[in-house]
Amino acid sequence: MKRSILLSGLFILCILWKAVPAAEELPNVKDIVDRANRVAYYAGDDGKAKVSMTITDSQGRVRTREFVILRKDVSDGGEQNFYVYFNKPSDVRKMVFMVHKKIEGDDDRWLYLPALDLVKRIAASDKRTSFVGSHFLYEDVSGRSIHEDEHTLIGTDEKYYILNNIPKDPSTVEFSSYKIWIDRKSFMPMKAEYRDRDGKAYRIVEALEVEDVQGHPTVVKSRVKDIINGGETVSIFDDVTYDIGLGDIFTERYLRRAPKEARK
Amino acid sequence: MKLGEKAVQLSVNSPRIVTFIMVALTVLLGLLISMVRVDTDPENMLDEHESVRVFHNAAKKEFNLHDVVVLGIVNEKHPDGVFNVDTLRRVHELTEFARGLQHPDRAEWHVVKRDLMAPGNVDTIEQAGLGQVRFEWLMQEPPETAEQALKIRESAMNNPLLKGTLVSEDGKAVGIYIPITSKEFAYYVREKLLEKIESFSESSDDQYHIAGLPVAEDTFGVEMFIQMAVSAPLAMMAIFILMLIFFRKIGLVIAPLIVAMVSVICTMGLLIGTGNTLHIMSSMIPIFLMPIAVVDSVHILSEFFDTYRHTRDRKKTVERVMDELFTPMLYTSLTSAAGFASLALTPIPPVRIFGLFVAIGIMIAWLATILFVPAYISMLSEKRLAGMGEADGEKETTFARNLRRLGSVTYVKHKMIIAVTVLALVVALYGITKIQINDNPVKWFKKNHAIRVADTVLNRHFGGTYEAYLILEGAGESESLPDIASAVSGRIEAGAVIKDNPNLLLKASAIIKEEASRAAGPEDFFNAVIKKWDERMDSADDASYDFWVDTLDLIEAVKNREQVFKRPDVLRYISGLQEHLVKSDVVGKSNSVADLVKKVHQELLEGDPGQFRIPDTVPGVAQSLISFQNSHKPDDLWHLITPDYKKANIWIQLKSGDNKDMERVVAVVQEYVQKNPPPVHIKAEWAGLTYLNIVWQDKMVWGMLKSFLSSFAVVFFMMTILFRSPLWGILAMVPLSVTIAIIYGIIGITGKDYDMPVAVLSSLTLGLAVDFAIHFIERSRMVFKKTGSWEKAVKEMFQEPARAISRNVIVIAIGFTPLLASPLVPYNTVGMFLASIMAISGIATIFILPSLITALEGRLFRK
Repeated sequence: MKRSILLSGLFILCILWKAVPAAEELPNVKDIVDRANRVAYYAGDDGKAKVSMTITDSQGRVRTREFVILRKDVSDGGEQNFYVYFNKPSDVRKMVFMVHKKIEGDDDRWLYLPALDLVKRIAASDKRTSFVGSHFLYEDVSGRSIHEDEHTLIGTDEKYYILNNIPKDPSTVEFSSYKIWIDRKSFMPMKAEYRDRDGKAYRIVEALEVEDVQGHPTVVKSRVKDIINGGETVSIFDDVTYDIGLGDIFTERYLRRAPKEARK
Repeated sequence: MKLGEKAVQLSVNSPRIVTFIMVALTVLLGLLISMVRVDTDPENMLDEHESVRVFHNAAKKEFNLHDVVVLGIVNEKHPDGVFNVDTLRRVHELTEFARGLQHPDRAEWHVVKRDLMAPGNVDTIEQAGLGQVRFEWLMQEPPETAEQALKIRESAMNNPLLKGTLVSEDGKAVGIYIPITSKEFAYYVREKLLEKIESFSESSDDQYHIAGLPVAEDTFGVEMFIQMAVSAPLAMMAIFILMLIFFRKIGLVIAPLIVAMVSVICTMGLLIGTGNTLHIMSSMIPIFLMPIAVVDSVHILSEFFDTYRHTRDRKKTVERVMDELFTPMLYTSLTSAAGFASLALTPIPPVRIFGLFVAIGIMIAWLATILFVPAYISMLSEKRLAGMGEADGEKETTFARNLRRLGSVTYVKHKMIIAVTVLALVVALYGITKIQINDNPVKWFKKNHAIRVADTVLNRHFGGTYEAYLILEGAGESESLPDIASAVSGRIEAGAVIKDNPNLLLKASAIIKEEASRAAGPEDFFNAVIKKWDERMDSADDASYDFWVDTLDLIEAVKNREQVFKRPDVLRYISGLQEHLVKSDVVGKSNSVADLVKKVHQELLEGDPGQFRIPDTVPGVAQSLISFQNSHKPDDLWHLITPDYKKANIWIQLKSGDNKDMERVVAVVQEYVQKNPPPVHIKAEWAGLTYLNIVWQDKMVWGMLKSFLSSFAVVFFMMTILFRSPLWGILAMVPLSVTIAIIYGIIGITGKDYDMPVAVLSSLTLGLAVDFAIHFIERSRMVFKKTGSWEKAVKEMFQEPARAISRNVIVIAIGFTPLLASPLVPYNTVGMFLASIMAISGIATIFILPSLITALEGRLFRK
């Protein structure tokens, strides 16, 4: 079984591996960011992965989540749709979380709660809320728009481009800046480190394992760490497949009755 | 007294050597004081391994609970209360300021940023237009318009988790709950916040109050040390002045002060040098030791003063005085020491240390008195003593004359005095039955102290600044594997889906049977069955897929049966208990996972108030909870429930930290659980500082009673030995018994709480009140031997001996009045007690003893 993410390197950021740049020539910041965005979130036209998430709190107590995630791009590097179908814990089985990611304006988000037979829209004005209690945020899942930050290339070493990113509207986020390490060969973002208002690092998002899946570099294991309080969430991506030919399943109709791609 | 004579000889003959040794020892022990380690935590009243304390700390860790400093901002003038642009801006500024607080020297002491509860750091769930919900910070940025400010009020008021806790129901107050990593950091936080508040330049109607038990306790610790440095020297000064009035010779009255200082310094040096921390209790050692140390020297001085003018020979006078006083002084010191040493029987570590070291201090004071005072006197030049006592001339002072008259009254009217005493005792005993056992560390501050004011104001506005936690744990019953397997099969067969799938049902039953026979235990069984189910689901077609999925839910429901706090019936039970609690007026508010589930459920269903309820199924609860976890602070959930859903915490806010109120809450819960058995077996245990206080109070009260009774017996035994007669022994116990009865009777009648200081003072009462009786009886017997008649003896007794007692009463009773000015109530209590003990036991000795002796003359003085 190949592990790899699919969906985009969902949770992680990544870049397109195909675009390996000519070695000597340094691309400009905009190119790096753009490529990284495509590698991390737009591999293939669509994709699927089984995700198991292990949340470990500061006391070492462990909770798990298992879900299937489906993704389909509306346009490469542009709008895309996500469909997350929960299998575990068992009492949230069949719960669905769906996102229509926009480039301009707020995303549309839905939550389906089978036990309450309820489809709920979730206002997406703030994407920096927890993803089902894990250390990942919604924005880690669907990707932070590259237009929301000012990016600066602050260093380059043998392996990485190192970028600093400052939010254009600091009032909408809890961080003051974040640094990102982008693999020079694959353009996969490998690590992001967030700093709080005092400039102190408090959160690290990392790609722990990257594999090639159908020619796409794909994060198959990633982790978020809370450096201040302790605790972390590790996501493992199994059965990653791209270009599976997903139909038009990203609609409210499919929330109550999950498509077969999600169920198996 | 051979030993006594030898000691006095040594002192009188080699005064310089005795003095040098004493000073050297004092300096040496005094140096140890610099190693002091301070401990102001009342939690240490309980042994570290005490089970409630262990449980309290485990619960704090498990639910990530911290000690909290409550900063309340109140605005009673603005029509919108605190919900105006200016006040909220300051609230925001204070929140940001509090967030970053950290002790400069102790990196591990800081504010727990994540759990800080303030409008800027709490998340709320609310309606966001048609069919939408939104998780939003209550106040991400301070509002710019009055309208925005009111919007914040509306959101807060609509959230039952915030209303009454974060914002007052009248909208006039907002609270910032600042969690800290250590209680010992609370005083620092308060100081810094006050500084910050001071820096707000613009004038406003905002009032700021800082409350919470950690602040009260830590501030008490700090102020206590200040009091130790202020009250003790002040009392010393007062005693000095009073003695000067009586004895007029500065050179003479310095001696008792030196004795007091030597005993205090040596005792504290020993205490600290032996590795003990300076705790709230041990910080009171100097205050307790001083009066006791002074008493004996005052007896010596008083006698010396009265005798010297007849003999005019320093050495002879000292020898004679010491000869008369040696035995009574030894016994008064032994009895006082026994009274305090008996505290070693209490189950409270700091009280044990306190009792032990006061006892040691008393014996040090005794040594210093019998060795140093004679040495000191013999070092004084005759010139400096010249004229002593002459100012009185041969004429009697009014003081002496009145005392002498009194003497004859006790002889003539002894029956009346005895009758009055009996009457007083009856009233006192009635008062004792009215005694109310209660304590509250916040009430250790006087009413006008900022901490008390904050406590009153904030508890008027909020659900309460005192916290207790009721920790519920589902007690799992162990079941056998066959039982579990049949429960699983039963559930599946009862499920509705199956009717249409008889074949699948057969297959399912076969798997369960097979795995049940193969598995080593329930855990193993479930893992194996679920794995099989997963395989089936992977290979199933659309029709059978549903069967496997739905039955898997049923299997997991059995597997997760221990997750009791996801069960709707259990959550409803918790809600019922909470409603019942709020009806007792002490509990202002309580928060539990049930409240949270209800609120989320309501908001998921369009904010309909009718949907503020627990969903009907376990998955309904689970999905409400997971919805909550999509917020900014999903971990807030784990303050109320553990991630395995086996334990829950009801966070209870009390408006009063009085132990009797906490006791009532405990009783109310117990009663409720008894009358309404929970749907599953649940173990309920208490944690929280407010609860810990009632536990140590209980130990204190009963421990003190036990130690008091045993020292009473020991003192009686010693008296019997000293006077070689049980009857005299009983007589010696009379003044102290009357004193204790009257003092505690007054406490009962006036309604003053029997609290920690009052409890500890019973030992002091016993130790001090017996002193005068010993002196009086010892002297009475000597005088009787000399005169051969009690009638004559009484007259002599009301000369020097009565004067010595009266002087002592006045010196100690008035000398400690500076304690009444202290802002700390326990110091006032000690001051009041010292005055009462001295006055009542002095009067009891001078009146009752001679009356009783008169009545029992025949038996007492049998030839």
